[in-house]
Amino acid sequence: MTEVLRSAALFTPEIALTTGLLLVVLVDASGASWRNTVGRFLTVATLALALFLALRLLPAGSPGASIFSGMVVVDPLGLFFKVILLAASLLTVLLFTFRNSRELFGLGHGEFYALLLAVTLSNLLMAASNDIVMLYLSLEMVSITSYVMVAYMKGDRMSNEASLKYLLFGAVSTGAMLYGLSLLYGMTGTTSLPHIQEFLTGDLSTQGRKAVYLTTFLITAGFGFKVAAVPFHFWCPDVYQGAPTPVTAFLSVAPKAAGFAIMLRFFFGSMAQAGTGPWDLAGTIDWPQLLMVVSVLTMTVGNVAALTQTNMKRLLAYSSIAHAGYIMMGVVALSANGARGMMIYLAAYLFMNLGAFLVVTLVHLQDGTFDLRDYAGLYRRAPLLTVAMGIFLLSLVGIPPFVGFMGKLYVFAAIVERGPEYWWYAVAAAVNAAIAAFYYFRIMKTMAIDAGNENKPAFALAFADGAAVFLLAAANFLPIFFWSGIEGWARQSLTLYAGR
Amino acid sequence: MITLPHYLVVSAALFSLGMLGILTRRNAVNVLMGVELVLNSANLNLVAFSRFGPGNLGGQLFAVFVIVIAAAEVAVALAIVLTLYRLRRTPNLDEADILKG
Repeated sequence: MTEVLRSAALFTPEIALTTGLLLVVLVDASGASWRNTVGRFLTVATLALALFLALRLLPAGSPGASIFSGMVVVDPLGLFFKVILLAASLLTVLLFTFRNSRELFGLGHGEFYALLLAVTLSNLLMAASNDIVMLYLSLEMVSITSYVMVAYMKGDRMSNEASLKYLLFGAVSTGAMLYGLSLLYGMTGTTSLPHIQEFLTGDLSTQGRKAVYLTTFLITAGFGFKVAAVPFHFWCPDVYQGAPTPVTAFLSVAPKAAGFAIMLRFFFGSMAQAGTGPWDLAGTIDWPQLLMVVSVLTMTVGNVAALTQTNMKRLLAYSSIAHAGYIMMGVVALSANGARGMMIYLAAYLFMNLGAFLVVTLVHLQDGTFDLRDYAGLYRRAPLLTVAMGIFLLSLVGIPPFVGFMGKLYVFAAIVERGPEYWWYAVAAAVNAAIAAFYYFRIMKTMAIDAGNENKPAFALAFADGAAVFLLAAANFLPIFFWSGIEGWARQSLTLYAGR
Repeated sequence: MITLPHYLVVSAALFSLGMLGILTRRNAVNVLMGVELVLNSANLNLVAFSRFGPGNLGGQLFAVFVIVIAAAEVAVALAIVLTLYRLRRTPNLDEADILKG
């Protein structure tokens, strides 16, 4: 009982989300005419409250604690991710509404908010899980609720088809992962990540080491699916194209961040051992090489496939695959700096990607098209949108002074400082960043230089949408001025609670 | 005497059959049956390891959760397959091809 009470005190953001989720469902079931407005208000309030609770969950300098008999941990690293994940959900609700998305227009509001809160809750659990049971459960909870979100347009074939593909790919990858986890349990005799680490750092024969290494392949399938890494990326373009754009925007940032959080926990917290410094880890199993190959393939496939895309949603899907490759550099580095680079990258990615998807949604609202060719002449019709989209794209390319550059800077630095045997990897990533610049600049050229759409009217942008685009664009370069604060926050968050 | 290796062989066979089913079947419902086989192969592993291994109940507990997840997953999957069936009158996965990957 005392354990439950102690745990509940450190579990307040999740409890707030659960309560909010149930309230949203109740309000929607009431059938009253005010249910949509109240549902939206409740969702925003719940997310804001959870964010507030998450920010003050641990006193500064606290190493964290494990709760619910070691199933879940509350530590500074997890809190950083919780803040990113809650911010992603909050921004999604605030930026995308049933008014400014043509695809969601006329569909039920309550279910959407309830599903969004459910995904958020499971994302938080995923970022904090400390046990392979919890890891698998939260990963599946994120997946299953996102399948439903993708199929949100019930009468639309594309949306349902996308969802079915997502589901089948998810079932195969997580099935393989579960099989791997069961073998890992068999070999180590425990489901707790810290205990697995203890076991692996102990006396282990070469054969045993090889067996664990092979099992990691199976487990990586699940992580790879969650963050859309090659060769588990096939669902990504189809799902991003078929899903309603607000859902696409949300899925491209939040579950991806949670996926990287759990990768960090799994690989750093159980597959590596503490080295000389507090966070310089030496691998017990040789997994960085495996992930390095996956990461290089991911960015290359994503960038090369994006070159020929004409549908904006598909293009951004491939671009998000490539970004997963860059972010993975932070995991491969296996150092405190790598983890920090990854966290900064994910926070920056939130603003640039949500911004790009918001512009895509607004163009679709006005013109009803996702085709890049219809973006021609956009600068005459909507100068604000064009400039903002330019900022988001430059940030995605990684050009200073935008936040995307800072993210890339930190992960590249973390790789380069690992030593000469990692340099080819950094070079491969830099070449990829150059390839990526081509298709991002192509979008800008289409918007600003190409002729077309001369006779179409200027954009009728609602004030709220204009303000949202403006603020997001500002969020892409203003953080540079507070950089020491952000960097300090990320540095302080580099504590992974390793106890049971 | 049935020992741990027997269980592992059966579970590996189940896993492979499940994957084979997922990869070769065209009917969505059959594919979902393959998914069930994969999940249950892991369950078999977990319970066998728990019984013959360290003697803790972690694996059996895990298996119970996996059963719940499998039920939830199939419920959602069947709902989506049904909606798709209403929209195009076929459960065949090959014909779900508007989105080209």
